[in-house]
Amino acid sequence: MRNSGNPPRSPFFKRGGRAAVLGVCLVATMATSLARADTPYVFNPPKGFPIPKVPDDNPITLEKIALGRFLFYDTRLSGNQTQSCSSCHQQDKGFTDGLPNAVGSTGQMHPRGAMSLTNVAYATVLGWANPLLTSLEKQTLVPMFGETPVELGLAGMEEELLNRMHNDARYERLFAEAFPNDSDAISLGNLVKAIASFDRTLISGNTPYDRYTQGLDDYAISDSAFNGGRLFFSERLECFHCHGGFAFTASVTSQGNPFDETSFTNNGLYNIDGKGGYPLNNTGLFAFTQVPSDMGAFKAPTLRNWKFTAPYMHDGSIADIEGVIDHYAAGGRTISTGPFAGDGSKNPFKSNFIRGFTLTDEERQDFLNFLLSLNDDELVHNPRHSNPFNAWRCPGDCGYDGEVTIDEILSAVGISDGAANLALCVAADRSGDGDVTIDELLAAVNSALNGCASPAAVAP
Amino acid sequence: MRRFFLVVFIAAMLWCGAIWFGRSVLATTGIDAAGQCIGDANRDGAVTVDEVYGAINNALDDCSLMPITLQFSGNVGEQTFTCGSIYHGVGTTGADIVPSDFRFYVHNVRLIRDDGVEVSVLLDQDGIWQYQNVALLDFEDKTQPCNNCTKQMNATVRGKIAPGTYNGVRFTLGVPFRLNHADQSVAPPPLNLTGLFWSWQDGYKFIRIDTAFDNLRVHVGSTGCYYVRPNVIGGCAHPNRGEIYLPAFNPANDTIVADLAVLLSDSDINSNQPDTPPGCMADPNDSDCDPIMRNLGVDFANGLPAAGPQKFFRVVSPTPVP
Ligand code: HEC
Ligand code: HEC
Repeated sequence: MRNSGNPPRSPFFKRGGRAAVLGVCLVATMATSLARADTPYVFNPPKGFPIPKVPDDNPITLEKIALGRFLFYDTRLSGNQTQSCSSCHQQDKGFTDGLPNAVGSTGQMHPRGAMSLTNVAYATVLGWANPLLTSLEKQTLVPMFGETPVELGLAGMEEELLNRMHNDARYERLFAEAFPNDSDAISLGNLVKAIASFDRTLISGNTPYDRYTQGLDDYAISDSAFNGGRLFFSERLECFHCHGGFAFTASVTSQGNPFDETSFTNNGLYNIDGKGGYPLNNTGLFAFTQVPSDMGAFKAPTLRNWKFTAPYMHDGSIADIEGVIDHYAAGGRTISTGPFAGDGSKNPFKSNFIRGFTLTDEERQDFLNFLLSLNDDELVHNPRHSNPFNAWRCPGDCGYDGEVTIDEILSAVGISDGAANLALCVAADRSGDGDVTIDELLAAVNSALNGCASPAAVAP
Repeated sequence: MRRFFLVVFIAAMLWCGAIWFGRSVLATTGIDAAGQCIGDANRDGAVTVDEVYGAINNALDDCSLMPITLQFSGNVGEQTFTCGSIYHGVGTTGADIVPSDFRFYVHNVRLIRDDGVEVSVLLDQDGIWQYQNVALLDFEDKTQPCNNCTKQMNATVRGKIAPGTYNGVRFTLGVPFRLNHADQSVAPPPLNLTGLFWSWQDGYKFIRIDTAFDNLRVHVGSTGCYYVRPNVIGGCAHPNRGEIYLPAFNPANDTIVADLAVLLSDSDINSNQPDTPPGCMADPNDSDCDPIMRNLGVDFANGLPAAGPQKFFRVVSPTPVP
């Protein structure tokens, strides 16, 4: 949301004043007094992207997304009310937390780092190496109720959690809107469905690389980056085998795709005992299958938006992208001292696509430039993914573009008389009580007339 | 004779379901006089396990089944467990422990009739502790330090059984496979308790023991589960369900005691294998699990019922009044 001083104004309001608002109210009341229903969400993926699969029992709607977004950012979703999903998945860090290992609500350290949520809608499997988490719905239960390690720390607190939701008028309304067929819409199943729906909207594909390959802008990437791309997709560097496809990760699927591809590979980070050993609390796929050759096998994460997601690897053990290139150039990592000492390049379970390579200085620069072209500033700034509890900053700005249009005022009016769903414009409900009052309508009009930075935009 | 009819009845219902789905061309056997699918109580065209269960219950009621209650007790040695109490002399080093959770699921409860036949107990579907053939036993009441738990407690398994003389009991520790891998976020009680979710393993903690202070925990469920089709778990490398057999048990008077002191008797409470969770979370690489799993009747190497006897459960008979 841009709090710019001078948004373009609607001519209607230049002349307008309150009389106009009243007229609008009337029209809106007539237009929207039809029965409310949930509103299907239409994916509008970037060019070159398929449509994500959505589970049959959780069709995606605007109402679920709006609800899920609040839940994702709500610290009431942790036992001690200090953390939310967004504590570890921060938008400005590509939905990671910048730490090598995530830290849960009770201070317990996670053995692994928070993962990027870029394009999770397409993931066949979630987490660094958990073959069982095949839906975002299932995955959501893990940070909520998991105890080794504690993340949100809600185990055994389901009743209290639902009470917290019940005690919030806005949630009462958003849940009811999102699940109109349920007599008691505030339930664990629905909460999980809403969060998963929000996760599915975190789609990112407007990078210089995309603009170039989709033919939208021939100059989106430099010659150097172009040459670097040839290296990326070459049998010399092999990156594309595991970080290939539109999502730059192998474990993806989409609508119409009959294959749910998943792959877990060992990229030679450790070799503790010379027999391929990884640290005991991070054995990767092996922890689930106990198959010896699965030792150290992890999901190759997406390379999109890496600029925001350092440090790298499951345990954050590589600090920056230069270190990553060194790692692959050496064909694995050698640790010379300490409990994890060993030559990862000789790990017997290492994928044979990781063989090492030498780059000239120029090639290395090209390669880096290519990798840089995989970053999309849009995701980290998209106001639709931002913290909705800050929506009061621009009352009535349903679309979060920093200005309030006549359509947005109409939505607000529809909500205030109960004809439209609050989910369609949570920014109209400045006070967060689940209702849009006359005062809030006036605040929205004020934003329309005077811009978002008008005096109305103070914390309620 | 009654058994025979029951078997025929169930077969008819299953058959009916098969016909409905077009898997069989054999005509009308599963359809009643009104043209409805037999056993399809809610008329949705499919016979669910719930419906079969209901039908069996009714069928057996007609056969004048007798109600039965199996009494359990959660103990630490000879003492009954209560939240917040300290218990001495536990494990190989005789440590003090303050347990802060004590719950486990059982299913497939059978009594052994005097002629040696195993007869299933049909659990009352009480909407709280018992669902289908699984029951939760719960000995904590959420008082300090049992924080992650529930106020309600349950020390009995209640159901119906054919009249007879019974002198032994068998049951399986844990949640049955099918329910263990169903959608937890919409599961009915007692499978909706998030403290017993084990979501990262796509299942439940079959048994949950926690202790305050030293953070020793016993969380055991199935591990190494795998998909055979999208969203269909085909099996688990380590099912970790103990088969419990208590040969001398008089359901009228005796109590089945689950004893933490015995469970931990071969463990050193004060030590933990480095880089593994405190206690035993059923991780096949955590050697701390070995003695604990054995006492639960599970072979730690493969997660199957152990050859040797379990120790966690024992039968206590009331002392006869002289
Ligand atoms: C304590 C920090 C923390 C919190 C809180 C947290 N996560 Fe995570 N998240 C992680 C870590 C760490 C991983 C990797 C887990 C693993 O593989 O073991 C992860 C992984 C994920 C993934 C998988 C991404 C992928 O590409 O596979 C998703 C999706 C996700 N989290 C969503 C959520 C949601 C939704 C919430 C809130 C309900 C949440 N997270 C709360 C740290 C956290
Ligand atoms: C054999 C498959 C494979 C190949 C080939 C491969 N990677 Fe990876 N990559 C992985 C896996 C698996 C991980 C995660 C490893 C872990 O955390 O233990 C990973 C992690 C990464 C990460 C860290 C991402 C993050 O969010 O932490 C980057 C960056 C990366 N790879 C870049 C590359 C580049 C560049 C190449 C080519 C030089 C390459 N990879 C080749 C499998 C592969």
